[in-house]
Amino acid sequence: MAVAQLNSETLSTIKEESWFLIIGRRFIRHKLAVVGMVFVLIFIFAAIFANVLAPYDPYKQNLAPPYSNPSSEHILGTDELGRDVFSRLLYASRISLFVTVLVNFVSETIGVIVGAVSGYFGKWVDSLIQRIVEFLLTLPTLPLLLFFSAMLRGITIPGLPDEWSKAIIISLVLIAFGWLTATRLVRGMVLSLREQDFVQAARSLGASDWRIISKHMIPNSLAPVIVNLTLGLGGVIVLEAALSFLGFGITPPVPTWGNMLQNVQERMWQQPWLAFYPGLCIFLTSLSFNYIGDGLRDALDPRLKL
Amino acid sequence: MTNYLIRRFFQMSLVVVAASMAIYFILWLAPGGPLDELKIAGAGGRANQGFSEEQIARIAEYLGLHRGPFWGYIAWLGGEDWFDDIGRPELQTSSCQSVESTCSRGVIRGDFGVSWNVARGSPVADVLLSRLRNTMILMTSATVISLLIAVPIGIISAVKQYSRLDYFVTTFSFFGTAMPVFWFGLMMIILFGGNQSPLYKAFGFPYLPTGNVILVRNPLPGSLLELLNATPGSTVDIAVHAILPTIVLSLLYMAGWSRFMRTAMLEVLRQDYVRTARAKGLRERVVILKHAMRNGLIPLITIVVFQIPGIFGGATITETVFNWPGMGFLYVYALGATDYPVAMAFLFISAVLVVIASLIGDVLYTVVDPRIRLN
Repeated sequence: MAVAQLNSETLSTIKEESWFLIIGRRFIRHKLAVVGMVFVLIFIFAAIFANVLAPYDPYKQNLAPPYSNPSSEHILGTDELGRDVFSRLLYASRISLFVTVLVNFVSETIGVIVGAVSGYFGKWVDSLIQRIVEFLLTLPTLPLLLFFSAMLRGITIPGLPDEWSKAIIISLVLIAFGWLTATRLVRGMVLSLREQDFVQAARSLGASDWRIISKHMIPNSLAPVIVNLTLGLGGVIVLEAALSFLGFGITPPVPTWGNMLQNVQERMWQQPWLAFYPGLCIFLTSLSFNYIGDGLRDALDPRLKL
Repeated sequence: MTNYLIRRFFQMSLVVVAASMAIYFILWLAPGGPLDELKIAGAGGRANQGFSEEQIARIAEYLGLHRGPFWGYIAWLGGEDWFDDIGRPELQTSSCQSVESTCSRGVIRGDFGVSWNVARGSPVADVLLSRLRNTMILMTSATVISLLIAVPIGIISAVKQYSRLDYFVTTFSFFGTAMPVFWFGLMMIILFGGNQSPLYKAFGFPYLPTGNVILVRNPLPGSLLELLNATPGSTVDIAVHAILPTIVLSLLYMAGWSRFMRTAMLEVLRQDYVRTARAKGLRERVVILKHAMRNGLIPLITIVVFQIPGIFGGATITETVFNWPGMGFLYVYALGATDYPVAMAFLFISAVLVVIASLIGDVLYTVVDPRIRLN
């Protein structure tokens, strides 16, 4: 019998593929997701090393005349105060990426916990949480975000530099509405997991509710959460930029991609690049995150494909 | 059904009251209200320019801010004309105390108070109504155009999955969801708007207006308005002004909705009854149009129904970029100018419309799909 002849030597030649390797190989098949990954890595690199890469101080008004055209000294020209646009773009990527990463990780974490609790305990806990989530989901997001950021405009966090204090305040506003989709997602997963045999087994072994939630429910519903998180990264970048553009997000002089577009309207025919590059950065990062999310969805859970 | 509707109405009013309380109390707690501004103006030793305590108290009484959050909310919701009937005339605003007809009648009787800044002194309802027409023009045209294009495109793209058109549609919707509207709007303005636009300069392409709803002066030479000989305030004038914002908004909606339709249709095409229809030997055309499409269109209800609050509320960003004096633009302006009565009215009406829309949606689903039961 062939099966009987399998000895330890032949078994050792069969390599067990790690989960990450399988996922990685499937991910690489999605060409645009890989391109998106490259773009995101470039942006992260630019954000981390902004202080090294930037040729000028983003806040300092240089001796260069305002609204100067791109030249060898200022490769993207200067803005209305003679500040180097390229340096400001680099520093802006710090704030924008920080906000989007913070918002998504915190709201996804809240969503996972609330969703798991809601789905696991059911009954009135579930219906209360679900009514709240449903109501918040139907509300028009942007007017409410504007409302909350307008309310928090004057508040600063003591002990933090101005830009980070503003960034955290705006992140809190975005988190307030960011946890909803993750909550629904995880609740749905938990509802179906709850009835499965391995959960019954854990319960009959006397595992506590918290243990079942943290060891069985959450790890098993993580794949769609990761996808949701990646897609959310692209969404939050645009939202934060929109708030800043409307004057309710992070306000100048702190540069963000959104507020760099705020004052370009007067000069945008003479210096169209002032309007072009900040928006292009928003668009490219958002698009990249969306494609990475799409690639991850294909890789992590082929059944999820829509 | 009647029972269900009664229960829903009860829940809906509860939700609306909770939402209005949240709006009111958050605004109450927020720093930077009108009184804070006066206090700041009074600080810094400019005694002769600033406001004394007494003056600030008088202004608070004029605006109704002296009554505190609890009675303030009651007055905002239910009016203040009955305060003297219950023996608390001091809770009324100063003008209401002297002239009975100036008393606020409260939101539930359709009185949203008086604007603080945007149009100081005029009733909020009038301010909102003056913008409603512009928003409705923009939102209805964008909604109708995008539905007419997105629905067929989504269906075709699902039927011909993995075709070239399908790839185009999915890529388009990816670009649309990642696109910051304000940037897209700015780029459109640079390309097509005003006599500085490169298309006009290079090719004499008739340029489009970049803001406002109607002309204030005669159209400039070279613009599309001059070409069409538009007179200020005419239909042509309004239509030409609406072109750019409508295009931007429609493309945005289309990106989302075509993908939504595609997903819904793909879902239906996988169903057993579609396979059965094919197995019966029906022509593909009949299978798609008679069996699949009818069911594929059901989720469209959600989109259409939730456009109801949208048609009132407008598109905040698009209206701001194109300087389109609609509701969304008004709301942003009111928030920036701390005109809280206007902002509150906007949010309150939006919340009511959202609640109504979700009820209409739920009821419509039972009409279209008898398998769904309300309970």
